[in-house]
Amino acid sequence: MYKLLLAGLTTFLLAGCSDQSWRTTDIGDIMPALDFSLTDEEGERVQGEDYRGKATLVYFGYTFCPDVCPITLARLGDTIRNLDDETRDNIQVLFISVDPSRDTPEVLKRYTDAFGPEFVGLTGEQAEIDAVTNRYRIAYDYGEENENGDYLVSHSSAVFAFDREGQAQFLVRDSHPVSDAEADIKRLASQDG
Amino acid sequence: MANKLSGVLICRACQGIALSALTLLLTTGVAQAQSLEVTNARLSLLPGNTPGAGYFDLQNSGDETVTLVGAESPAFEHVEMHVSSEHNGMAHMHAIESIEIGPGERIEFAPKGHHLMFLRRAAPLSEGDKADVELKFSDEQRLPVTFDVVSPASL
Repeated sequence: MYKLLLAGLTTFLLAGCSDQSWRTTDIGDIMPALDFSLTDEEGERVQGEDYRGKATLVYFGYTFCPDVCPITLARLGDTIRNLDDETRDNIQVLFISVDPSRDTPEVLKRYTDAFGPEFVGLTGEQAEIDAVTNRYRIAYDYGEENENGDYLVSHSSAVFAFDREGQAQFLVRDSHPVSDAEADIKRLASQDG
Repeated sequence: MANKLSGVLICRACQGIALSALTLLLTTGVAQAQSLEVTNARLSLLPGNTPGAGYFDLQNSGDETVTLVGAESPAFEHVEMHVSSEHNGMAHMHAIESIEIGPGERIEFAPKGHHLMFLRRAAPLSEGDKADVELKFSDEQRLPVTFDVVSPASL
């Protein structure tokens, strides 16, 4: 009897939890809604509200990054490809460049096309990029140029997730298990609009 | 006649010694090269002039430490060695000059860690191609490796 009660209570608690919280870091109360003023990969001026209506994942990076950025985007692409068709139509990934001098709309378009139709590259004036990075309290930093004029950029490794209304939901860090990130992304994309 | 014959014999002996010496020299080089084995070599290719990344496993089965000091490829103008790291939510990358691989040691160049950075394509490449790369070591030894050209999505 006691065991049954305990099992019942555990089920109740688990069910309660699964409705409330994300497996990755919940940022619902601490991060502002999706908002920015940038240029998309077609060269069009865009605002954050233009991307409402779908679950949105946001990653800040740069195309001259051969390792971490493509690997992160490729894993998001894998997660998205594993969704059923209908759910896949409800999600998009915004790759916001923190290196606008090299990442022109043309460069970004070619780059994001390699990861899938759900990926959109965004760039802008430095002040516009700074407005977005400040809004989400992340930093980026340019390294020194080498003899070939190349430089590296340190940038946030996190993926920010917003719901269809553009409200902040969760943050995926490098330390989160891939299975947790996949479960949260799937749940976010499956939410009814 | 006898003189001539002994002359030929001496000459043959000389050739034999020279050949043995040469073989010895060659085998030393080959022995070193054979003690290094690269597997799982993949070149993650991105569109346009966006740099690519090289990943591989390198096993040193020899009894001496070897130092990898870089790489070259006819398909790219520059190849650099880099390491990615994450600290306080920030992704960093920096170039490294060399990496030592001790006797019996195996190192992995893998996503989000050590990698080769392939800069400025000098030859057209696409997924499914093979790319020739030479790994360079501090003792002037060069190890030719064929990398499979892949999409980052396959890693």
